[in-house]
Amino acid sequence: MKRIMIDPAKCDGCKNCSVACMEAHRTDGGSGVYTLDLTDPNNISRNRIVSDGKGGYDPIFCRHCDVPDCAGACMSGALVKNMENGLVEYDEKKCAACYMCVMSCRYGVPAISPDRKRMIKCDFCAHLEEGPACVRACPKGAIEVKEVGEWSDM
Amino acid sequence: MERYVIIGAGAAGIAAAATLRDFKPEAVITVLSIDEHVHSRCMLHKYLGRERDVEGIGFVAPDFFDKHDITHISCETATRIDTAGKTVYFGEGYSLPYDKLLIATGAGFFIPPIPHFREAPNVFGFRDLSDAMKIDEAFGKGKRVFIVGSGLVGLDAASALCERGAEVTIAEMAERVMPLQTDDYAASVYQKAFEDHGCRFLLGIGASDAVVDGAGNITEVILSTGEHVPCDFVIMAAGVRPRIQIAVDSGIAAERGITVDEHLRTSAPDVYAAGDCTGLSGVWPDAMDQGKVAARNMAGIEEVYEKPYPFKNTSNFFGITMLSVGRLDQTEGAEVLVHHTPTEYKKAVVKDGKLTGYLVLGNISNTGLYLYLIRNGVDLSDKLDHLFQLTFADFYGINEKNGEYAYAR
Amino acid sequence: MNACYNCNTCPSADKPMEEYIRHLPRETSHHRVATQKTKCGFGLQGVCCRLCANGPCRITPDAPRGICGANADTIVARNFTRAVAAGSGCYIHIVENTARQLKNTGLSKGKIRSEKALDHLADLFGITGATDKWDLAVKVADAVLSDLYRPEYEPMELVEKLAYAPRVKRWKELGIMPGGAKGEVFNNVVKTSTNLSSDPVEMMTSCLRLGISTGVYGLMLTNLLNDVVLGDPEIRMAPVGMNVIDPDYINILITGHQHSLFTYIQDRLTDEDVVAKAKAAGAKGFKLVGCTCVGQDLQLRGAHYTEIFDGHAGNNYISEAVLSCGAIDAVLSEFNCTLPGIEPICDELKIKQICLDVVAKKANAEYIPYNFATREADGEKIIDEIIDAYKERRGKVPMNLFPDHGNKNTLTGVSEGSLKAFLGGSWKPLIDLIVSGKIKGIAGVVGCSSVAYGHDTLTVELTKELIKRDIIVLTAGCSSGGLENVGLMTPEAAELAGPNLKAVCKELGIPPVLNFGPCLAIGRLEIVATEIAAELGVDLPQLPLVLSAAQWLEEQAIADGAFALALGLPLHLGVPPFMTGSKLVTRILTEDMVSLTGGKVIIDPNGVSAADKLEAIIEEKRKALNI
Repeated sequence: MKRIMIDPAKCDGCKNCSVACMEAHRTDGGSGVYTLDLTDPNNISRNRIVSDGKGGYDPIFCRHCDVPDCAGACMSGALVKNMENGLVEYDEKKCAACYMCVMSCRYGVPAISPDRKRMIKCDFCAHLEEGPACVRACPKGAIEVKEVGEWSDM
Repeated sequence: MERYVIIGAGAAGIAAAATLRDFKPEAVITVLSIDEHVHSRCMLHKYLGRERDVEGIGFVAPDFFDKHDITHISCETATRIDTAGKTVYFGEGYSLPYDKLLIATGAGFFIPPIPHFREAPNVFGFRDLSDAMKIDEAFGKGKRVFIVGSGLVGLDAASALCERGAEVTIAEMAERVMPLQTDDYAASVYQKAFEDHGCRFLLGIGASDAVVDGAGNITEVILSTGEHVPCDFVIMAAGVRPRIQIAVDSGIAAERGITVDEHLRTSAPDVYAAGDCTGLSGVWPDAMDQGKVAARNMAGIEEVYEKPYPFKNTSNFFGITMLSVGRLDQTEGAEVLVHHTPTEYKKAVVKDGKLTGYLVLGNISNTGLYLYLIRNGVDLSDKLDHLFQLTFADFYGINEKNGEYAYAR
Repeated sequence: MNACYNCNTCPSADKPMEEYIRHLPRETSHHRVATQKTKCGFGLQGVCCRLCANGPCRITPDAPRGICGANADTIVARNFTRAVAAGSGCYIHIVENTARQLKNTGLSKGKIRSEKALDHLADLFGITGATDKWDLAVKVADAVLSDLYRPEYEPMELVEKLAYAPRVKRWKELGIMPGGAKGEVFNNVVKTSTNLSSDPVEMMTSCLRLGISTGVYGLMLTNLLNDVVLGDPEIRMAPVGMNVIDPDYINILITGHQHSLFTYIQDRLTDEDVVAKAKAAGAKGFKLVGCTCVGQDLQLRGAHYTEIFDGHAGNNYISEAVLSCGAIDAVLSEFNCTLPGIEPICDELKIKQICLDVVAKKANAEYIPYNFATREADGEKIIDEIIDAYKERRGKVPMNLFPDHGNKNTLTGVSEGSLKAFLGGSWKPLIDLIVSGKIKGIAGVVGCSSVAYGHDTLTVELTKELIKRDIIVLTAGCSSGGLENVGLMTPEAAELAGPNLKAVCKELGIPPVLNFGPCLAIGRLEIVATEIAAELGVDLPQLPLVLSAAQWLEEQAIADGAFALALGLPLHLGVPPFMTGSKLVTRILTEDMVSLTGGKVIIDPNGVSAADKLEAIIEEKRKALNI
């Protein structure tokens, strides 16, 4: 399976990854960063760059964990660990917005949608052939898609 | 060929079945359930609210059993276990031999000993799809609903019925709604939202008797205050009890719940129990987890089940979201911090530099780490100045082996 | 040549040039496009604020305001207004130096190449009683300078005399008549500083004032003042592209916008004694090679400089390639767009860099400030140093000439005066062609060249699409450089035009794209438009006239754009000017402006759809005029 590997030492906090994420998941039908509404909560980024308080930055990205807390807590079957590609996939149609996933992720990754009807989490840009938009947008190579081997249960 | 039998198709039963199949590709796995459809009890309100149909509240794919080559015997009740002969009896004398058995019968609603309540045909629980179907049917005849209990189950039912125009009265023995999850402020916010949708709350009040018609149906609930509240039917949401009857009837040790050891083994050889029937926890994620752990133990992988941390919940009614973890009520010797702005309400209970309770009302995005901090007793004495703004960056570390994160700071 | 630098360059509309640059053994702007491909989304939208030490603040759904409380509208408006002020400052600097040059020429009784142009200005300004042409030149220059130096709260006097009356009326209604041009720049720099104005609407109104002072002075007047000293443009055919470079000469690449600063030196370089010096060094003489807008201006007036001027090689983003040919011995620069990227190339190829104006001081250039009083001695020094550079480098640096690049028959020298003269001294023939529909409308494809999304690719594509739709294209700025190098200003380009425009071009022997020269000549386009509007008795926004700064590059272009909006013209841009982070500013520029001045900004990165939109506007305006 593949994972977005993070090297926080390389992160400059430019948030290009966040803007790319927002652009990749915008739902207003538009395209191109110029017209992306940066103030619309519906466009919230799935990744976050948080200052480490010492001049550096800590990128917080969904890890698509080997044993995902979120999917383990999902009572609707909306969040499922796909054993073939290693991704924790989300089916909005199944989701009941109970937010057990939000509560259960120990890294605090999942967010809730402004309409309180969905959860929001990295989908590895499954709709983009080129792969995760964030990775392509990073000017520093702080995030990279890498093969991390077979999924192991424990 | 090993034979695995699982009684119950809820969170624990299904999680166990899937896990067993992962480890035992060749075994014969059978799931026996009362319900026809695998469904999530946490989504019953979606069904009752007519938001989703039966399939819509399933939590596994419709082809789950086929795909995993698991036999599903539905609409049947397990009646007895012959632990010596390793056989489960169900329905009209059918039997099912097993090598390993998992009891995942869940919990059922509880009716307190109030006159007429236990006998009345129009008193329903709200635990299973069959309950929801019965309520749906009753609702076709009358829209005045009396709900006993304002916990998550009671409010789930209330929110669903409100959306359909019911006239809902909720009696709550405690002084606030959702007493286990909320504090006074959070409760008042939810109470107002429900009232705005047409619910009436009777707080600090219980039902003490009822007026019934010729068929034994409750037509009026008599409150502890003496007031009569007319109603068309009653929903009991005043608590649940682990379903232990089959264990008791089969000589398997049980107290409040089915007794299990650290491997989730019951007192009978090769019989395991997981989920709400153990009484260890009442929340979905724990039931799933228990199902998986029990399955791995059944498959021969020794695994100790870590004691669950049951004090955790989220709620989402009318778009008002809340996360409530830990013990907000236990404040002795603790410091209670409140962060209240026009858009946010957060409360933290801190004892000896550790978080013991945390509540967020409003935007609960990215708050999952608070459960971890409470559950693991993480020392936060150097982070108390920004307790309400903690992110994983405060604990940032990367697991070099697989690129996942690890708590490091 | 050695192996290419990294063979990873941006596309260019000029395919032979794209190939040439890709194979260069050194890095150019075209290579750096790839390494700068990742753009900052906040920057693109104009919602990164660096006005104080609390910043940079960026706008996100979680953070809709900066620390100070400024929202996206305020941040965008401040950044935008700062850019317009800076761009205006650039043009005002140019017109100031140009007017000073004219004044000094008058005071020193120097060479006045066009008395006609001088008299025309005197007429416009209403200046009488001059004792001679030199005195008149001084008075004309003083009229301009005194306006520029007025305080911001005092209206400039020449605006009303130069701008079209219906426009002036509207500007007065809107309260956007500019005060002293330098004061306007100053005032807006202050206004947009930390915790000063937060009013996006007021700031956008200010931009229009800046646009008017930029347009009337920086653009229009710079041309007219230069005509006096440097001579009127005359229509002629000229070579363009790198084929203009003759390695047998000492070649000086000129870059900038202030043509009049070269007045002395370009005359001196053809004097016998100077040519003799060149010959002594082994060259046939000196040649100026045009690049950027000052090259365009020289090309425009090329009829007066056939001996010294080789031709225009290309626009700003060709300069690195031109220097790479090995036959350029010096760069003489006085303004933008003198790319910092030429510096390592000059170092490597031992090309002497001399800068005449400190505002464009290049890090490794020798600074010889232009000073009218000492111009002769300075000129000798410059010439000698260039000869030294020639001797030092020739034979030692590799040659990589590109003699096939460009073409030899580009129509140049088009101005409001030369075009009118070409048409027989009246705009009527052009108006008739427009009324009859043989020419559907006019599009000014102006402004810069940029590379981030392809070198001149959108400019060329849009222009081709416009002429295909029988819309005649007038150009000014670095857009001209790209368009002429791909041959769109040769008479043969008529074949690419729609049937009606093609017939017109063939009949008149002109290309469908007419080159007015430097970006400053946007002021000339305005004069053409005004004269046509006056003849028709309509206001500018009613004309079937559109503008596009498809590949606008710099702050000056944004100030030009503000002028276009003040004129009430539709203005197409390929990429937004860092505005889309503010819904309010975007709405003002793209919608509300129509009811204010009649203008509006149209953003479209696609040549075909942009041409569709511009054509639709032209058709709408034709309909309104009943033609």
